[in-house]
Formats: sequence, structure tokens, C-alpha cells
Amino acid sequence: MSKPRVAIFDFACCEGCQLQIVNLEEEILDLINLVDVVEWREAMSEQSSEYDIAVIEGSITRPEDETRLKTIRSRAKVVIALGACAAIGGVNKMKNNFDLEEVKQCVYGKDATMPHLNTAMTKAVGEVVPVDVCIPGCPIDRKEFGAVIRALLLDKKPPIPDYPVCVECKANENICRYEYNEICLGPIIRAGCGARCPTNKFRCFGCRGYVDNPNVQAAAEVMEKYGLTVEDLKQKMILFGSKQGYTL
Amino acid sequence: MCECCNGQTDIYLPQMATITKRKMLTDTEVYMHLEMDCGQDLAYQPGQFVEVSLAGIGEAPISISSSPTQKGLELVVRNVGSLTRAIHKLQPGDKLGIRGPYGATYPIEEAKGRNLVFICGGIGLVPQRSFIRYALDHRGNYGKIIVLIGTKTYSMRLFCDEIALWHKRTDMKVLETIDEAHEQWHGNVGVVTTLIPKIENELAGSLVLVCGPPIMYKFVLISLADAHVSKENIYVNLERRMKCGVGKCGHCQINDKYVCQDGPVFRFSELALVPEAI
Amino acid sequence: MSVRKFTSQQFDEFVSAMLKTGRPVIAPQAKDDRFAFGPLSSPADLRLDYDVTILPPKKYVLPQVEPLLEFEVFGPYQSVYEGKPMILLGVHPYDLAAILQTDELFRQGYYDKHYMDRRKQITIIALDVVRPSINVFASSMGTATISKGYDILLTVLKDGSILADAATDKGQELLRLAGASAPASEADLKARKAVWDYNAAGLNKHVLLCKPSFLPKLLEQHYNHPVWEEKARLCYSCGSCNMVCPTCYCFDVQDQVDWNLKNGQRARCWDGCLLEHFAVVAGNHNFRKERSARFRHRLYRKGKYVPAKIGGEIACVGCGRCITACTAKIANPVDVYNRLIQDTQLG
Repeated sequence: MSKPRVAIFDFACCEGCQLQIVNLEEEILDLINLVDVVEWREAMSEQSSEYDIAVIEGSITRPEDETRLKTIRSRAKVVIALGACAAIGGVNKMKNNFDLEEVKQCVYGKDATMPHLNTAMTKAVGEVVPVDVCIPGCPIDRKEFGAVIRALLLDKKPPIPDYPVCVECKANENICRYEYNEICLGPIIRAGCGARCPTNKFRCFGCRGYVDNPNVQAAAEVMEKYGLTVEDLKQKMILFGSKQGYTL
Repeated sequence: MCECCNGQTDIYLPQMATITKRKMLTDTEVYMHLEMDCGQDLAYQPGQFVEVSLAGIGEAPISISSSPTQKGLELVVRNVGSLTRAIHKLQPGDKLGIRGPYGATYPIEEAKGRNLVFICGGIGLVPQRSFIRYALDHRGNYGKIIVLIGTKTYSMRLFCDEIALWHKRTDMKVLETIDEAHEQWHGNVGVVTTLIPKIENELAGSLVLVCGPPIMYKFVLISLADAHVSKENIYVNLERRMKCGVGKCGHCQINDKYVCQDGPVFRFSELALVPEAI
Repeated sequence: MSVRKFTSQQFDEFVSAMLKTGRPVIAPQAKDDRFAFGPLSSPADLRLDYDVTILPPKKYVLPQVEPLLEFEVFGPYQSVYEGKPMILLGVHPYDLAAILQTDELFRQGYYDKHYMDRRKQITIIALDVVRPSINVFASSMGTATISKGYDILLTVLKDGSILADAATDKGQELLRLAGASAPASEADLKARKAVWDYNAAGLNKHVLLCKPSFLPKLLEQHYNHPVWEEKARLCYSCGSCNMVCPTCYCFDVQDQVDWNLKNGQRARCWDGCLLEHFAVVAGNHNFRKERSARFRHRLYRKGKYVPAKIGGEIACVGCGRCITACTAKIANPVDVYNRLIQDTQLG
């Protein structure tokens, strides 16, 4: 059986998720044993228009990117949205909270009208083309990336959790950030990161997006129990939660 | 568990079995005949299930469709997820892991001398077939055998050849229906409950055995209540996520019952205080 | 063997002797602002004065991830047993009560060799509670003190000395490792009794308004009580109450495959009935879809379903961990049970 061909593409992002793949270190050799990487701008110069699995990093922020993404989708059997930007739009979606012209003016000033700086509302990959697997996170968890790739090669459902971060946070025997009166988004955010932030004594920032059915209304009411306000909560939800369909 | 494996003490360790026959029954259901590699038949009874596993992919509970009166083990697997998709790719000669059999059986003793009415919806026919075949193989032990089969569409009907043979038998009665009309289908159209009035006279004193999708139970049980069938005379076969099969993992629990141990076959009257059942 | 009495220095020597056996000694230690069971490296890290650990010692009896089988992809399989001899030091009575319940659940019916094999290699040194935690209600549940299930029972007396009572051969053998100690006097035993008497009533930050043995009957009457919906409205379905519970033992089973795609492991890992997808079957039908149904299920398991399997003992031991862990502050079993008691017609 020939090895599946993998191509890795990036759109609007910091490329930090690709870096996590590079950071697989020895395991990257295991990965290369299983797949042929035919295009990966960050790590090699070759390009290809023939691939089985397309790994997409970054959010879609320009009309021409939509066209490019649709071409990739038409060529690939499997499309993986890699990282918060691709999976949920990521921090780039904060832009969608404002008027687009205002955003351009704010960022580019007098150059805002130059054609190459054209910009549109930010979209997650799945808002432009069908996505087979989302590997969320900012950045992704490389162990999870490995497990997803192995699952796909075995034609198995990728092991992306559908429960909140609290499960992993409790398993790590952390003290709940709410006991320090911090607003942690863990109870409404999808696990899979190993509760990386709370384990390092930061609140959950919500980079993996919401669980399937987050109790956002409860989150609002629970704030009171900690002397916090819904406004406080809303603030925390802007970074990764902007325009994600669950609003207060 | 087969005789020779009885000394085996790890309840989670599957025994290997080989697929000896395989046939697609529909686009989504594969039939498989298996034989245990140890050479002995599983000691199972109608109504029980096995945990089927494919190492690396996973494990899932699958009802046994064959009768212990026949050689080997027959399963029908619907393609609904990773594991079942992988099972669908297997061919004769390929191997599967098997644990079990597990669970409560159909009331084969209590049913002796009684009329049996099987009400089957969709793949609910699969486990029911085990008892139907068992009863046919012990024909003298049972009264009338009536089988009602409801299927959503024409192409989803299971065991068509076997059912054709059942139709020809004079010692059983089979009524079929499909939910959606089809040009090649000349029989009843409508849900399985529409067949119940046709056999209403046979219901008194019969044991009624029901198996089908979750939504079917509600309607069938209402119809049976309307027909004055007592809950003591109804058996249902419930589907839950019997992850471990041995009453530990908690996934199949409905109120205080473990479907993998107390079921999957339940006398309906025993579910009176089990609101999560139906 | 009679009860031995240690000064705290002598007890440290005993702990050092245990550490020298090479067997891991798992004991409560400080973790940030709280306590956690972990491998002990020095007697100085041992905190006999801990109030409660974030996770119960269950994690050593039923690990969060426990390999059951090794396999080649598509079979065959081989059983894996990873348990090793271990000393579990400083287990509070309520946590020990929970372990004894779990023992019974994995023993009965289909004997779970994975659990039992690991369990048999664990020596348990129980410890009477020195300092009640903020949410403990073990006194309400009858688990504030314990008289069975341990190999040694430790009690810290008011003067700081420590009594050690070996109840099994394993315990006596371990106690022989100790250097200097004295036999406990009548007065010491009286002082120990005073600790027990105090704890039997004093570990009770939330007071259950009925005897625990009444809970199955109570729950029988209130399946459709409004409290389930009222509380569960704020439930995140985050499973925190399950994760920190010493008596929760539900698990999921998953296959992991190595990078060579040839070898792998089948492992069980903790699961929780509060999580949304716990009762989902193939084809995505969810048999416990409502938050309130899942919320109710946990409290029925604790107060009715599990007790029916283990001879009546209530499967909530009053450790109070779920109360602390629940971000929405709805998990307190006493709150719910007391609410039901108030709405119960007696007689």
C-alpha cells in the first residue's frame, strides 16, 4: 500500500501550529514513515498539487484565500483544520466584532485602501469548505496531532474529546482557578489539551473552542457566586470566543 | 464463553474467532458467520450478545443472530462508526476478537407451550432471529409462532431469503411491512404497529417479544396496551452502550439496571420502575 | 500485636524504614495550597495533618488510565497487569470506606482481575482525620471513623504522638520495620477513643437530616422532584464531581496504537456519568440527554443504585470533594438530599 500523501498549507496565522509538528522531534521520523509529505512551506521547498490529506493552518481572511482553499479541498480526500485559527477562526475572529473599514483604518492607517491589504470577515476553514477533522488549540497539542494522524491512517474516528477541560484539569489534580476568583473558561471549552493552562496556574483562555453543548447561560449565572459579573465573563470570551455562536 | 476458555480469568481478554462466511444483507448491514479459533462453540442462549473487537480500532456489543441449535456464531453488523466500518471491510478468513456471551436471555423455558409473537423493527430482527430460529428448531415446544417485521425502506429489509422460506412454512405466520412505499413492494406499507390489528386475536395469552429502534418501543407498547396484552407477557430487548459487558463500566446503566447483566432482554413489567428504559 | 505509640520523630524513622524497602510509599503531601497523594521521598514531606486531598487515593487503586491489554493491530491480544507492591499511607477513613466499596464492585459478578491484582499489592495505612476539611460531612455518612479494611490504622493524639494499630499480617510485618516505639498505654487508647468520638460527630460541615440508610427509600419517592431541574440548570456537565469522587468507578475503554501502526494497547480510563456523551449509543442516540437526568443519575447511584449492589452501604462517603470541585456550586449531595427530606410525607 502506498503511503498517503500529506500537504500542509497555511493561511492567516502565526504558523505556531506547524511549529508544533516540527517539534515532534524524533516522532517526526515516525510520521514520515507513515506518510509522504509532499508540500510543507515551513519545512521544505517542494510543492505538489496531488495529495490525500490536506492540513490547513490559519483562518480565512481574504476572498482570494477562499478560492485557494476550495481548490485544496477539491484535491484532498481528507481536510484537517489545524489549530485554533483554522478550527474556530481563532484570535483573528476578534476582527469580526468591528466594522471592517474601521479595522482596516486602525491596522493599516493611510495604506488601508491598498489592494494587497484587502481583507474580509474572518472565517474558520469549516465556514468555507467541509472539514473532516478539527484539531483545535493555540497552539495544537502535538500528542493529539499524532493520535489524530494515526487514527486517520487506521480509518478510525479521531480522538478529539467532547467534554470540557475540567475533566483533564481535575485529573491533573489542579486547584480550580475559580477558587482564586479567576474566570476560567474550562467548564465550557473542549478538552484535549491536557488542561495545559490551569495546570500551569493560568485560567483557561478557551483556545480549543466550545464543547458541543456548552452551558454558557450557566456560566453567566455562576459568575455571581464568585463576586464576578457577566461583563467580566464576556471580556474573557472575546479572545477565542468571538462570533462562535454562543453569546451572552 | 466456550468450554475450553472457561479457565481464562481476564474478563477483558477477547478470544479470537475466524469469519467463515460473509454477505452484505443491505448497503449498511453485513452478515457474518464466525467460528471460534479454539474449535468450540460459544455456549450462548437466544437474546445474548457478544463484545466484538478489532484490536486497534475498538470493541462494541453486537447481538447474536444465530441460534445455539446451529454451528458457529452469526452476527449482523450495521455500519455506523469506526469499528463497524472496519468490520465491514473484513473477509472470510479474517479474524475478530470475541468476548462473551453476556446478558440475560429470552425466556426460552417460560415460553414453552405458549404462542410467540415477535415484533421486529429494522435491525431489531437480528437478535429476534436467534429466538425465532431456536423456536423453529424446537418446534414442538412452542405454540403458534407469529413474526411481524417492519422495515423503514424496501432496500433495508434483512434476511429476505430466509423470510421467504418462513413465509412458505405452514407452522408459522410472518407479516411484513415497510414504512415507505416502493414499486417492487406489494405488501403492507406503514409502520410495524399497523400489523398488530391483523393478529390481534392471537395476542391473548401469547408472549410478545419486541425489538427495534428506541422510537418504536413507545408506539408498539401503546398498541399492545390497547390490545390488553399484560406487561408480564411482553419482553423487550434494549440497546445501550454496553462498553464492558460485565456490569462494571456503567455506560449501559438505566436507573438501577445494567443492560449488559439484567438485560438486554427484559420482561416489560420489570421495567415499571425503570423510567429510563423506554 | 498491641497498639504501638510513636513520637513524631520515631514515626519519621518508621517512614524512612518503609521508604528503604524500595516499595513506593504513596502519601499525602502539600500541593500548592492543598494536598495530594503522591510518591513520598522523605518523611519531611508527609502531611499527617492534611484535611483532604484534591483527588482521592482511588487514583492508585483504579488509575486514571490503566492498560488492560496489549495487542497487534487486528489481534491477537495479551493481558497486561501493571500493579506493583505499594504502601498507601495516610488514607482517611472515608476514603478507605470508598476503596472497600470499589473492591466489592470489582470483585462481585465478573471478577475483575486487573483491579484485584493491583489492589492486592497495596498495603493500606489508614489515618484518622486530624483536621476537618471545609466541606467534609463524613460524620453524616458514618464514614468519619473506620474499623476495617486497613493494614495499619494511625491516630494522631493531641500531644502529637502517633498510635499505630496493625490489623493484618501485612500491617504487623510493616510495623516490625519501625525502630523505637512504645506500647500504647490505657490512657493513650482513651485519648484515641476521644479522637474517634470527636470525629464521629465533628467531621460534619454539612448535616444530612436523615440516617444514610434512609436514602434509598427517600430517593424512591422523588424521581420527578423539581430539585433535579433546579440544580442541573446550572450544570456545566463538566464531570468534575465524578472525577474527584472516591466512589465513582465508571470507565471508558479505548485502543491506542503506536506510531508503527502495528502495536497498541487497550486501556480503560475514568469516565463520568455527568458528561454529555456518557450514554450515547452507536448512531448517536443519547439515552440520558438532559443535564437534569444526568445530575439525578449521579445522586441516585450514590444513594440507591450502588447501595443495592453492595449490601446497602451508601456510595457517598462524605468527603466533600464534589462540593469543592463544582464550579457552579450545585453538586452538594447533602443540599439535594435534605431538600428531598423536607418534601417527604412521613408515615
